[in-house]
Amino acid sequence: MCRVIKVTGESLTPIIEEGDFVLVLKIPFFFLHNGDIIVFRHETHGMMIKLVEAVSRVEGTVFAIGTHPLSTDSRSFGPVPRRNIIGKVILRIRGSV
Amino acid sequence: MLYSILKALENRINFEEAKAHCDIPCGIYDPITAQIPALTVVRMLDLMTDLENKGGEKGKEFHNTFSRYVTVKEEHAEKAKHEIRVIWGDYIKAQHVEQYPELPALTHKIMQAGSKVRQTTDRQAAVDFVEAINQFAEIFWATKNVKTKRAKAPYAPALELVYPEL
Repeated sequence: MCRVIKVTGESLTPIIEEGDFVLVLKIPFFFLHNGDIIVFRHETHGMMIKLVEAVSRVEGTVFAIGTHPLSTDSRSFGPVPRRNIIGKVILRIRGSV
Repeated sequence: MLYSILKALENRINFEEAKAHCDIPCGIYDPITAQIPALTVVRMLDLMTDLENKGGEKGKEFHNTFSRYVTVKEEHAEKAKHEIRVIWGDYIKAQHVEQYPELPALTHKIMQAGSKVRQTTDRQAAVDFVEAINQFAEIFWATKNVKTKRAKAPYAPALELVYPEL
């Protein structure tokens, strides 16, 4: 239901930084909104963390992007189906240094 | 506090990792890419002084060579500024600024010093430009917990540069 996950990479800077921990909560799909940070599984990239730019209730997908212009995200691999979504970030735990 | 606890637990618990990766490898930053252009600015000023003191006819050969020195000085001052901007924009994070609160002012100082060495032929201003970038390099390496040393560059103008102790 709730898990602690460590973030690698810099595509969500400055919202989430490399090395941050996040607390991820499994929530129903209809609770997801634009601006949420989600963790999901991707067939080739593994577990990813991105920002929700759009939610398609009809298709059951989210368009998830990074803040970095070179981010690997829905702009390159398409929308994320709801079955692949692990949960929403409800707490960011950032290092002081 | 919570972060410290999680970091301490990290050695015992394999936390899952979520990737926030980019299409190209990130993370390759080194302020030497700014230090060398800044040093080049000083070198060009020295060459300009040498040429000026050489005497002789100030004909087209003189102006051609002199203008090439000026062009290289311009280009390298801008290159040094550009490299610092990249590190500032892409690498430096809020926690680095918290740890080194002098960093924003130092970065701004480098930008201004870089403009000054383009506008003038003041050698001291160029030496100050090198030194400001050296200070930036010291902080940059400190953020990576890498010790630094100061040593004279093995080429003219042989000014002191900051190098990582790897």
